[in-house]
Amino acid sequence: MTRGAVRGRTARPWLVTGLVVAAVVGVLAGTAATAQPPVPGLVGPGPMIRYGVPVARVLLDLAALVTVGLSLLPKLLGFDRPAHTEPVLAVARPAAVVTSAVWVVAALAALVLQTAELHPGEPVTVGDVAGYVRRIGAGEGLVIVAACALAYLVVAVLAVRWGETVPAELRIVVAMFAVLPLPVTGHAANTGVNLHDLSMISMELHVMAAVAWTGGLAAAVTLLATNRGLLADVLPRFSRLATIALATVAVTGVFNGWFELYLTPGIHWYTALATTGYGRLVLVKVACLVTLAALGAIIRYRLLPRIVRHERTALAGWAATELAVMGLAFGIAVVLTRTPVIS
Amino acid sequence: MRRVLAVLLLAVTAVLGLATPAFAHNVLLGSDPADGAKLATGPAKVTLTFDQPVQFGFNTVTVTSTDGAHWEAGPATVAGNAVSAPVRPLGPAGEYTIGYRVLSADGHPVTGAVRFTLTTPGTGTPASVAPTGTAAPSAGGGGGTPVWPWIVGAVVLLAAGVVIALRLGRSEDGQR
Repeated sequence: MTRGAVRGRTARPWLVTGLVVAAVVGVLAGTAATAQPPVPGLVGPGPMIRYGVPVARVLLDLAALVTVGLSLLPKLLGFDRPAHTEPVLAVARPAAVVTSAVWVVAALAALVLQTAELHPGEPVTVGDVAGYVRRIGAGEGLVIVAACALAYLVVAVLAVRWGETVPAELRIVVAMFAVLPLPVTGHAANTGVNLHDLSMISMELHVMAAVAWTGGLAAAVTLLATNRGLLADVLPRFSRLATIALATVAVTGVFNGWFELYLTPGIHWYTALATTGYGRLVLVKVACLVTLAALGAIIRYRLLPRIVRHERTALAGWAATELAVMGLAFGIAVVLTRTPVIS
Repeated sequence: MRRVLAVLLLAVTAVLGLATPAFAHNVLLGSDPADGAKLATGPAKVTLTFDQPVQFGFNTVTVTSTDGAHWEAGPATVAGNAVSAPVRPLGPAGEYTIGYRVLSADGHPVTGAVRFTLTTPGTGTPASVAPTGTAAPSAGGGGGTPVWPWIVGAVVLLAAGVVIALRLGRSEDGQR
């Protein structure tokens, strides 16, 4: 049997379709739901910009999480059975080159679109972008992300060339480092408040846990969906990671959502949950999380014991569903970082 | 895995240490004239006060009447939490709208409107050409080179690099 045949049998890239579609649908629906009426006398950004910015940001997130997931894969697979794991990693390494390239492009596109958002009705010039990067934290953050993703791309190319002698830890750290800058430039924090630092750390933990959880699942199921031998090894390891990630995402997410509502003057956070677009999106995300916990529990307690016994299961369907719900949550997350609580 | 976690914790600390303070979105607390105010004479300037400092630059304040004519007399200026703009003597009685777009430090523009009513007609005339009312000339102003060609170039370069890298990887594969 050739290696090509093995690749063809185990890789199921379509399993992330639901993730991507749900993320884009989530971000478009959320943007439309929180759209503000045009202000008389002000030239507003056109629909290309209004929808282009969130779409670029969610594609950036997806490229980031798949890249992180592909970086985690060697750790999940372990190194004790190279004859079985090497064909899978030989697919994962070039895939990471492609996803990190998408990551770089999405960061640059987001940078230009966000600059354009501040200059409605004018063509964006190089000077505009330079000014945006110099003066706005979000611009600086996107440049750092693009640079880190580019650094990852170089490491990924080295890994394609030299295989697993390029340490998996290096890839994980570079990928995770590229995830870090953007959350602190969202509206994670306020000055003059003691909870300021805590909310920034909480936001970073939230993003890292969500990215590792979703990315790990996406990489594991797309590359191993039908490889029962490896799934029996990988899924128990992933399950532990997922449990920690679920708990982290829940605690930090509830805290961040509450904190943002609590800080906004002129409203009570408990009524704002129902009366503001922001609050309603927070509730939708909580619903996503509950659904994810239920789906995760089904995989963990119903499928996992059979997977460990190398039995055939409907894992692909359940995992694809879970990924779609995760995609929706990522789409809404992008809207939440951009939406003012009250307008 | 533990080593990775340690490195990540260090990375988080480094990022937080370097991070410039990010602000949440600004929220409008009040304005002069206030929303819904009824005035006998037009104000010489309008002031919008927010819950936290407004980023300098990129801010726009406009005053328009219901027919769409512009009445602001110059660009917006920032003073701490407040943004203000001078206003021309107003004309016909009726409702005027103060429209604003200010920039939160997180890079997200915040827009909104405040309305007031002029009860006694003034003698002023609207600006013939609507001033853009930007507080600073568009940032940087680096010669007006459009940016899209650069982005397209970067994408093409990256795509070519990826294709070449993957080709090299595959031929290496084949030799083994």
